[in-house]
Amino acid sequence: MDRLFRRRLEARFGDRLTGPVRQRHDQTEIRIAAADVADILRTLHDDPEWRFELLADLAGVDTGTHMQVVYHLWSVTSPDWLRVIADGLCRDDPRIPSVTFLWKGAEWMEREAYDMFGITFEGNRDLRRIYMPPEYTSFPLRKDFFLADDAARSPGGGVRPMERSHSPRDAAPGAVRQVRA
Amino acid sequence: MTVTRNLLPPHASADDPRITLDEEVGGIFENVPPYPPRTEREAEFYTLGDGEMFINMGPQHPSTHGVLRVVLKLDGEKVVDLDPVLGYLHRGVEKLCENADYHQVISQVDPLEYVSSLFCEWSPVMAFEQLLDVEVPRRAEYIRVLSAELNRIASHALFAGWMALDLGGLTPILWSFIERDEIVEMLASLTGQRMLFNYFRIGGVNGDLNHDFMSRLGDWMSRAVKQIDNDTGLLNENEIFVRRMRGLGVLDRDTALRMCATGPNLRATGVPFDVRRAHPYSIYPEIDFDIPTRTEGDCLARYLLRMDEVKQSLRIIDQCLHQMPDGPIMAKLPRLLRPRPGRAYASIEGPRGQYATYAISDGTDQPFRMRIHDPSFIHLQMVGLLTPGNLVADTMAIMASLDPIMGGVDK
Amino acid sequence: MTVVARTWQRLTIPGRVLLALLVVGALLTVPLVLLIVFSDELLAIVGANLPIVRFVVAATAILLMTIPTAFVIIYIEMKGIALMNLRIGPDRVGPFGSLLSVVHGLKVLMKEDFTPTGADPTVFTWAPVVVYLASVMSLLVIPFAPGLFGQDMNIALLYFFAVGGLTVVGLLMAGWSSFNKYSLLGGLRSAAQVISYEIPLTLSVVGLLILAGTMSLNQLVLNQSGWFTNWYVFQQPLGALIFFIAATAEANRTPFDLTEADSEIVAGFATEYSGMRFGFFFFAEYVNVFIISALTVTLFFGGWNSPFPMPDIRLALDPGSLGIGLLLVIALVPLIGTLLFAAPFWLLRSSMPSWQALVLGFIVFNIVAVTLVLGWAFISFDWVAGLIWFMVKTYGFVFLFVWMRGTLPRVRIDQLMGFAWKWMLPASLLNLFVTAAAVIVVGALRGGR
Repeated sequence: MDRLFRRRLEARFGDRLTGPVRQRHDQTEIRIAAADVADILRTLHDDPEWRFELLADLAGVDTGTHMQVVYHLWSVTSPDWLRVIADGLCRDDPRIPSVTFLWKGAEWMEREAYDMFGITFEGNRDLRRIYMPPEYTSFPLRKDFFLADDAARSPGGGVRPMERSHSPRDAAPGAVRQVRA
Repeated sequence: MTVTRNLLPPHASADDPRITLDEEVGGIFENVPPYPPRTEREAEFYTLGDGEMFINMGPQHPSTHGVLRVVLKLDGEKVVDLDPVLGYLHRGVEKLCENADYHQVISQVDPLEYVSSLFCEWSPVMAFEQLLDVEVPRRAEYIRVLSAELNRIASHALFAGWMALDLGGLTPILWSFIERDEIVEMLASLTGQRMLFNYFRIGGVNGDLNHDFMSRLGDWMSRAVKQIDNDTGLLNENEIFVRRMRGLGVLDRDTALRMCATGPNLRATGVPFDVRRAHPYSIYPEIDFDIPTRTEGDCLARYLLRMDEVKQSLRIIDQCLHQMPDGPIMAKLPRLLRPRPGRAYASIEGPRGQYATYAISDGTDQPFRMRIHDPSFIHLQMVGLLTPGNLVADTMAIMASLDPIMGGVDK
Repeated sequence: MTVVARTWQRLTIPGRVLLALLVVGALLTVPLVLLIVFSDELLAIVGANLPIVRFVVAATAILLMTIPTAFVIIYIEMKGIALMNLRIGPDRVGPFGSLLSVVHGLKVLMKEDFTPTGADPTVFTWAPVVVYLASVMSLLVIPFAPGLFGQDMNIALLYFFAVGGLTVVGLLMAGWSSFNKYSLLGGLRSAAQVISYEIPLTLSVVGLLILAGTMSLNQLVLNQSGWFTNWYVFQQPLGALIFFIAATAEANRTPFDLTEADSEIVAGFATEYSGMRFGFFFFAEYVNVFIISALTVTLFFGGWNSPFPMPDIRLALDPGSLGIGLLLVIALVPLIGTLLFAAPFWLLRSSMPSWQALVLGFIVFNIVAVTLVLGWAFISFDWVAGLIWFMVKTYGFVFLFVWMRGTLPRVRIDQLMGFAWKWMLPASLLNLFVTAAAVIVVGALRGGR
């Protein structure tokens, strides 16, 4: 847990953070708005003070109320992992600038986020589905996506928690799992 | 050109418009792809230049490391461009984990990189331990490191054999499998399974070291170095093998970092980034080992680097055995786990690269989001970058040297 | 016809067998009677056209010989590579799995044999035939033993290379007519490979031809008789090496087996072939291995000559002089032999029942008798000796090819072509010039003396 790191982050990006810098175990977390992603990540990547040259992970998250894109970065300047949460994407049309101009390897990770959540990465040259077939119309990892499961449809089915959460019976409108994350 | 009737699907006839007998194109071939291109890259790829053709190395192919479809754009024998098509092994593990208990996640996550299952288990388990603020007993950590390093050696043995098989040598893969079989039998006596181990638990491991495992391990360690040298000697000194791999698929430092490469693929370009040293976890700070690095960045460097890592793993195993403390192998945890709401990220160094899990918990007994970051997925992007300009035969060599496992790529 | 059908249904299996034999026998009687009645005239015709008859018999024999040879070589490869891979290989079918390749051959016959849509049917059908024929026709000139060859032409070597070049045509036909990009790639690759390596192959033996002065393979073998130092490999080492490497590439063997590189382009030119058509390609490859081994042996390693001059022993055995004693010998020797060889087993292992000892004795007697007869044939008939030496040497080289397949990975197409044109061709030219210069110089020295 690198306290100095937290202070440096607050000093540099203080006005653009949409939440406090949180630290737990060996991870430091900042929250930014989706529109600032390109700027802030470019600063973190190019600036010799930060040198976050390694993008470890790019994940999409559906919190139930809105969507997020979470980046994990690593730099030689700090022993902590930096987690950048681009928050506040609306669930109807989530859009966020792409980071493929910094890391070409993010292309497929963004494709996966698009395929699973429907998040559009503006600037990604190859935003098409990666796992699902091209004609597929749903976004599987969204919280309002229910798998048509035999167990859920059967009359006696839905006893185990795993089947119950799949069941369309439980999917009253708005009964989507949510988290404050 | 006539259409042979007994090869048509039952409902089709020779007048079926889906089967175009276009005299210009030359008959049976459909448009590739059968839908208009939707992205820039697709349009760029699916436009044929002069004298180019598409070849499909389909999901069923002896040399793609699992079910992977690669569409190659060829100019004669030279590869102009490459487009991998994934998803043939997609099982929706992340979604399944959201509907499983924290304990059930471990068996869901095993088949991701089935060759090195223990690493696939380790990363989520570490993330959950962060969420639960559980401290893992030292003996359990040592056993984890011991079994994981064994699994790393097994994975690299498979890599070496498979690499040689893709280049045409029939013998090295069978010799590597002797190595792998011995290790896997050892792990079977420890964990109960030969392949999808299901051994790590949140807070420790499932079973303690037993006599059978220790005797097999001791037996194997006494001849491991000599055996590995023997097996790799068949390849390292083989002129044909070296000639085909040297200078092929050269990855330089900046490209590797831009492509988010990790693990041996990154270290072969000269960047000494190993999660075990850069961001130590478990008991790795107490163990003395080197990080092999090479600077050439070609296929041969990646292959030799993995063989060096095997030697380092043997050192680690040796130290684990000597420093193994006594104690419990599982922390005390309630049956039903409800971690605090929050986020955790755990990253480990697997045989292919950095294997990470980002877990979000909402306070219930099921994870809210289990994001699995798999190195094979990232590295497969590099095939499209490194192959153009080389021949068809080199596609296989490059793909084999990047060591993807399709279970991890497709999740 | 229903009478026949009903009768057939009512017969038991032995009855059906007997009926079939009767019918076949009846059908055969007619030609047999004709043969007996016109035997004199037939013999006269045969005698007048002896060379043609000899040729027909030789060609048939060679054609029939290729299949068992292919079986044996396939088995050697499967078992050899398995043992090199530290596994067991064929084990169940026949003793030590030796009948497995026969079963493979039968399986290939029984598979569905289809022509893919869009393939050119004529070319598709004839491609395997051309490839197979190219292999089989080359066997015609190889001398297996003194007097045991198809045809002794004085342009035998030229004929051999000419016919071997037909393989290219067959491969291209296969690759093109399959209407499949993989096959096309494979066919073009193999055509390029075979053509490139034909030049070093032919050039490497020209040095040999200069030394020997003849293209007749029979004469070349006769030139190498005596001690093994007469073998041409000692006079043309570079030529032998180049020939061996080029022949490996000609036969599409590892390390030059890109055409059938199953880890890259599935099965190359043979992707769309199944059933017996694939069987033709399959057998042709192994017959090719036999041919190049046989040719290496013939040209450079003495052919059917033994490494040392065989002492001229004549075992004057004249079984006919025994008269009635011959019948007694035939009746009694197996009996006495069995008892003789059974006695040690029966005496020394008291737990063995006597019938088991007798069986073992019979087996041992058979082995001893066959060895003795073979040994006598080896000593008395020079063609038996020649054939056995030839086969031993050829299968030694076949094993060498199998060994290379088990050990080496394959080269890439551009490395292969570069090797052929940049290294093998200049090397064979060098060999040729040095040999020619040496012959002239030595001739001048000798002539001047």
